Amino acid sequence: MHMTHFVRQHLLAPRNAPVVAVPALVRCRRALFPTAATSTLSVVVLAALIVFGWRFAEWAIVHAHWTGTSSEACTGDTGACWAFVIARWKPWLVGDYPAGELWRPWTCFAAFALFWTWVVRRPHSASLARVLPGFLILPVAFFLLLVGGGPLPVVAPTRWGGLLLTLVVTLATFATALPLGLCLALGRRSRLPVVSGLCTAFVEGIRSVPLLALLFIAATLLPMFLPAGFSIDLFARAVIAFALFNAALAAEVFRGGLQSVGRGQREAATTVGLSDFAALRLIVLPQAVTVVVPALVNIMIAVIKETTLLSVIGVNDLLGAVEIGAKSPAWMGPSNILTSGYVFLALVYLSVCYGLSRYSRRLEAQR
Amino acid sequence: MTTTIPAGSADDGPIARLAGINKWYGAFHALRDVDLAVAPGERIVICGPSGSGKSTLVRTVNLLEPFQQGHLRVCGVDVAANAITRAARNAINRRVAMVFQQFNLFPHMTVLQNLTVGPVFGARAGRAEAADLAHHYLQRVGLTDQAHKHPAQLSGGQQQRVAIARALCTRPRLVLFDEPTASLDPEMVNEVLQTMETLAAEGMTMIVVTHEMGFARRVADRVVFMDQGQIVEMAPPEAFFDRPQSPRLTAFLGRVLTH
Repeated sequence: MHMTHFVRQHLLAPRNAPVVAVPALVRCRRALFPTAATSTLSVVVLAALIVFGWRFAEWAIVHAHWTGTSSEACTGDTGACWAFVIARWKPWLVGDYPAGELWRPWTCFAAFALFWTWVVRRPHSASLARVLPGFLILPVAFFLLLVGGGPLPVVAPTRWGGLLLTLVVTLATFATALPLGLCLALGRRSRLPVVSGLCTAFVEGIRSVPLLALLFIAATLLPMFLPAGFSIDLFARAVIAFALFNAALAAEVFRGGLQSVGRGQREAATTVGLSDFAALRLIVLPQAVTVVVPALVNIMIAVIKETTLLSVIGVNDLLGAVEIGAKSPAWMGPSNILTSGYVFLALVYLSVCYGLSRYSRRLEAQR
Repeated sequence: MTTTIPAGSADDGPIARLAGINKWYGAFHALRDVDLAVAPGERIVICGPSGSGKSTLVRTVNLLEPFQQGHLRVCGVDVAANAITRAARNAINRRVAMVFQQFNLFPHMTVLQNLTVGPVFGARAGRAEAADLAHHYLQRVGLTDQAHKHPAQLSGGQQQRVAIARALCTRPRLVLFDEPTASLDPEMVNEVLQTMETLAAEGMTMIVVTHEMGFARRVADRVVFMDQGQIVEMAPPEAFFDRPQSPRLTAFLGRVLTH
């Protein structure tokens, strides 16, 4: 074949990509019924969904009892007892917090909602340095406001409960576990064998013990190690157990983040005259922390769900409030009351944690 | 700011002197009895086959690599083998700057922050003073309008010029270049070499590891040929390229200069 010398006379301008419009019905058919086998599977799964969905809707909506102030309102086992959930809104939200002081928990909820809205709406590229202090300051402020003192009447943490407790415990756990986890991760990289050995032993040890066991140890064993006359309440002990456990998890997350920052970054920091500490603070940590933010949000989701374990050691969280409510004289009786409480609990946790995991996904996508 | 020539050292001796440096990676003998003295204002180009210890050698000068035998004195700081203190390393790195093959810019900072972080947090310069210096060197490398971009938004050649500006912002008395053009696209190599040549013409003391033989011929006062961890031949460029003495260098030049 004769090879000619090709020269383009005019350069081509860019054009838009062709748009292929597939009708929704066709897309649906392609997705659900591409072959005989998958069509059968689709039909079976859809049928099962419809049957169970209808049964749940029947229980949760059609036969549900919505109003009433005692178990009298929920006769029969065929429908949910939402009256139980609606009538006892206060234990779910704030536990046994004094009715006259409710503005304090409301302030906490509102402050957190405002803070979280700001966190979610700001672009991820903006400095993390402005977000992290919020997670340290808020729990301290909430704790001081809720406990009271001075002009405010003191409300012991034993009277807090429900979502309020979940919020405060989660934030307090975060505020303590993250700095501690970072220190542990840095300690594991230390050149001093004593420091790195201790940090490794702590992380591996705590990670290998179930959280529930840690909670029982904190509730029963911890007081024996404290000096006589010095006692801390169950709430603080629980937060300590949570903080230690999640610090060990966060330490592993931070360790991965630190490893993701290349050796070249540290070397470049050294050659521009930064000390080891300045290099860590200005060059390594900002990059490492940015990388692990989605993983930290996942730890936060886990902490929120773990707060249900608090009910086991007698702290009045949402799960504890449901169980106590179902045992109260007014609501003794049909088993659907307790079931409704559990379903409500699941829906609350689902909505909170699903929202958080969506946020975590978005952070990952923005990276 | 018109002059960038660093003040002469107090003792007016070599800026860097390496004596009998030996280094092992495990059992591998990476540097073998290396002796090298670099006078103020001198431009030294190091070349050699890959794995010959060129990079290890320049990285030893600013103590990024420890060494097991020998002694070095860089900008008045004495360091003996196996006695590298953090203080000595920081002292040397405040006077010696480095440009890396992979640029190693700080990706979470703007170009301007990359240039000022060393002076402000390492040398304790004022922020305004550091920013002035940064703008001065950005102009020198022709990137005035990129000051507020992040490194990822720049081309490879631009990133390496930022890295050179970052090195100069620490007001170094010696700049080390570790294969600064090796990871650049061919069309970007020249803009970086040009910047380095300007710097050399202004009298900056430089040690450059590179495969760019044209650059070595134009710029170097002395060219060093390394093979198997040792200095095999060292000469001014004309003698080095036109009258190589050792068979190893002759063979090496035959391989790199034919194309």
